Amino acid sequence: MTEKVGIVGIPPRSVIADLHQRRALIFDLDEPQIRASLDLTASHLPRVYCAVLRTVVLNAMHLHLDRIYIDVGPGKCDCALHVSTILRSMLSIPVHCTRNQDMESAGIPLCRTRMPLLEKMTAITAGVLAPEPEKGPAACRPTAGFWGVPPRDFSLLTLFPDTTHVYGWTRCMENKTPADLGLESYVNPDVPTVFFAQSFCAKTALAKFLADHHPQGLYLDCNVTAGSSARAKIEAFFELSQPSFSVDRKKG
Amino acid sequence: MLLADFGTSYCKILNTETRQGPEIIATRDLDAGFIADLATGHNAARRSKHSVNELTALARGGEEIIGGEDFVLLDCGSRDIKFVRYSEGRVVDMGWNAECGASMGFTIELLAKYYDLDYAKIPIPDTGFSITCGVLGMSNIFDAVISGLSETEAVAKFVRGIARNAYRFAGSPERLYLSGGLCDNPLFVGSFPCNVISLGRFVLLEGLQVS
Repeated sequence: MTEKVGIVGIPPRSVIADLHQRRALIFDLDEPQIRASLDLTASHLPRVYCAVLRTVVLNAMHLHLDRIYIDVGPGKCDCALHVSTILRSMLSIPVHCTRNQDMESAGIPLCRTRMPLLEKMTAITAGVLAPEPEKGPAACRPTAGFWGVPPRDFSLLTLFPDTTHVYGWTRCMENKTPADLGLESYVNPDVPTVFFAQSFCAKTALAKFLADHHPQGLYLDCNVTAGSSARAKIEAFFELSQPSFSVDRKKG
Repeated sequence: MLLADFGTSYCKILNTETRQGPEIIATRDLDAGFIADLATGHNAARRSKHSVNELTALARGGEEIIGGEDFVLLDCGSRDIKFVRYSEGRVVDMGWNAECGASMGFTIELLAKYYDLDYAKIPIPDTGFSITCGVLGMSNIFDAVISGLSETEAVAKFVRGIARNAYRFAGSPERLYLSGGLCDNPLFVGSFPCNVISLGRFVLLEGLQVS
């Protein structure tokens, strides 16, 4: 019988390779896997908590898994460490904590290619389930940047141009080096960049810091869904970041 | 061309083909069938042929009216506050607070009607409440009145707190350009701890005109 395994964050490549060898069915618990209200997690987690980790708990409550690997090291967060305690308490399956400190680069072709950002993000997050990277598409010249973690609500990604390059922890995901703070902190000062973090995540501090120091940076945090003001901010940011508007009008 | 800034409480409408200035209509009194050619605001998508993002309209209006290369423009509306900051002619920061800073303008107007207050006659208090939201800030008023403060003093502290919160939201600039209906409220404008230049309530309409 196929073993059903949930993963949280990015467990080491050796763990993913082992799961593939065992032909396990892997579920990325960071992403919504079932249709149910996040409020169902209220008996296990505070309501004011990272929406991604609330999603992890919601998935774990419903998926009837055989085991879970949850990364709790520098490549994930302290919140995940505490969620691992809760998962152990609420489930009767093995919950393995890992501390992924892989530093062997797998490459970042998807982060730099021309592709709708929603598709790009989907491909990057799907890549977490594979131990080895696939040969990626060619890079494009960036006109915009998305820095941060994959958002709980992917719909906000539809507001970005196809020539958006991806930075931050999502880039670390594709590179399979989630604890590489140097890569996570890398930005391109020449492209207007949205610095995104999940509300209540420790990465909000780094996102705000980098946005404040970026010549064309917009800090944005969202919780469960991207509301109309968050969407409008992204839309206006890219519209107003075009140098043509103010420069042309002043010339005219 | 019929331009409209569909605010939560008030709609600002301009017919560019007449020589008359903009018209202000309470949103609840606006004809249900009214459709603008170009609009911004909460109902713009539903009530116009073409719509412009509110932050974009604010920025474009600010560029047109202020004309400088470095400025901070804050719009305090009925339901939300938003700002754009320009440096060397480029937008370098912006914000739109529709949730945690919500309902500030609406609450200020509501309080004046409920307590029958004239904000032009209320002195600016030395201290204010620490508040981030119009609705949550109401509790401070009730508590202050219970502890012996007059209703007028309590509301003044509330308005000062709202202004200070909006000031911090805009990045605490030395000079602030202010847009929106609260430009007409001397207590609110006087509560900012910086140089405030009021531009009135038609900045977004100006932004539509240059779009």
